[in-house]
Amino acid sequence: MKDTEKPKPKIAFFDFAGCEGCQLALLNCEDVVLDLLELVDIVEFREALSEKAHRYDISFIEGSINREEDAQRLRDIRARSKYVVALGACACMGNVQARSNFVAPAENFAVVYGEEARNRVQTDREYWPLWAHTRVRSVDEVVPVDYQLRGCPMIPEEFLSLVKSLLAGSIPFFPPKPVCVECKMNCNECVFDQGRTCMGQVTYAGCNAVCINNGYVCDGCRGLLPGANLDAHRQLLRESGLTDAQIESRYRLFCSQAETKHTGQ
Amino acid sequence: MISYLADERRVIQWIRHLAAETPVFFPMPHGKVNFRFERVDEASELQFARYRPTIIAPNSFLTPTKEEIFKYQRVGPGRYELTPAVETTFQILAGVRPCDLKAIKLMDDVFADGERDPYYFQRRTNTSLIGYACPAPCDEMAYCESAGSLDWRDGVDVMLTPVGDRMLIQAYTERGEALTASGDFDPCDDPDAELQRHLDERPKPFGRQLHAPVDELPAILERHWDSPLWDQHVERCFSCGTCNLVCPTCYCFDVKDVSALDGSSGSRTRQWDACMLTTFATVAGGHNFRADPAARQRHRVKRKFQYLNERYDSGAFCVGCARCGRQCTTGIDIFDIVNDIVDHDRAAAGGAS
Repeated sequence: MKDTEKPKPKIAFFDFAGCEGCQLALLNCEDVVLDLLELVDIVEFREALSEKAHRYDISFIEGSINREEDAQRLRDIRARSKYVVALGACACMGNVQARSNFVAPAENFAVVYGEEARNRVQTDREYWPLWAHTRVRSVDEVVPVDYQLRGCPMIPEEFLSLVKSLLAGSIPFFPPKPVCVECKMNCNECVFDQGRTCMGQVTYAGCNAVCINNGYVCDGCRGLLPGANLDAHRQLLRESGLTDAQIESRYRLFCSQAETKHTGQ
Repeated sequence: MISYLADERRVIQWIRHLAAETPVFFPMPHGKVNFRFERVDEASELQFARYRPTIIAPNSFLTPTKEEIFKYQRVGPGRYELTPAVETTFQILAGVRPCDLKAIKLMDDVFADGERDPYYFQRRTNTSLIGYACPAPCDEMAYCESAGSLDWRDGVDVMLTPVGDRMLIQAYTERGEALTASGDFDPCDDPDAELQRHLDERPKPFGRQLHAPVDELPAILERHWDSPLWDQHVERCFSCGTCNLVCPTCYCFDVKDVSALDGSSGSRTRQWDACMLTTFATVAGGHNFRADPAARQRHRVKRKFQYLNERYDSGAFCVGCARCGRQCTTGIDIFDIVNDIVDHDRAAAGGAS
């Protein structure tokens, strides 16, 4: 078959519980998006799933899976996709909303909607459909995921690297290194030298240490590096003056599933 | 060799003068406690006394953390045209301490070995080194004297040696003579006497001392391949590679292609790699030759104190700058590791006799 006759691969984007910042991050590199359109057909870019017959070559899933109906929809997408890619921290590991998994649902409800609403929702199940919210799950807790594009938001360069690899038929590879590698290469002063603390040693790199480059610390939005020495890290945070509660809070900000599941590739 | 004397103020004036014409990089304070080589401009505050080894060593000016090797362009089925990346700008690294000077000499050896690395030597020949002899250890971590780098001058164009409240300025090369010609310096008739005075003024011993001479370390390390000490020293290791990345004699790199979306063109790049990272020794098929962090640590220590000294002829590849120990967030210090092994070796030998 000639190149010109080959159908373009179909790429789809699906939103679940998230801020859509990852899709915005992609749209921010307009020049590359236009080049991309030469090579692929983007068939979904919003929450419309009308044609059930559609098959997708690459489905990008943004957001965490919070309700059973979302899980159903995700399973349906999976069944019709060649590759499923978790796009961003929400899809990869539940992101900040997964902290709610550590609080009783009724308590969460009261914090967001008030005591009165909580009391009513407990007696009247029809009152508020959000009650259907069960537990914040990452995409790979519901369906098999082929690749993860980490970060809050995801990194456009990694998105492009993944798409290029899949188009070329090679295996996408995101080296399992901690953020320290990129941070050192940028010749940053270690934030521990400044009396601050950092998740960089146990966090999957790929962001070019953007937060530290800009004067902040790493909060671990790209998830824990497989095999990271978490005991040593917790001990270091303790020696840096954090209480055990503060350390858990630090871990749970993005990596709340650290205790139950390792976010390995 | 031409020698001069001048006070520090005039030396700094001279460096500023050089910086007006050529990019000059000098160690400057960065953040709360650190230093890094930054380009000198009119606003730069230059001083020699306060110093801590820079976060990344000046070898990053010879082998950048990331660099493009060549561009490629498909010109037909399976045929590509390559355009080598060429970069030739003259630069001066000033205020380079003896530990880093020795490291650069070691990199000269490494990159000349086998296939001479054109990218390295292109920059190296375009780089002038103005060294600065330390009058005192930069901090309590340094062990440069013990590692054999404190009096290193080989490879330098100009050496600045503090003597009392003045500096001895010595041009070691023709390029150094040309650079110093623009300085407002007094001639020095007896540089040897000034050098001797510098040595007399230096504290003795100078910094921390390894428990064995570096030339005995290869044999000692060889006897302790299976030592439990290797495991102890990685209990708190993150395998983050910081010790490699800040080391002035770590030079391993990874090569990868960055292609355009359609694959028709792109560039081949190389960037620093680090043998403490978990997958450094993973090969095709997935086998990892050093999956255990203790094995990686042992490899790193033996590279610095055994393997490379045996391969080249310039002494230990650890120059005693102590960057690795300083920058390690959990304080893993190669100095302690080596001394533990030496102590263990001595104790074992004592017990046997």
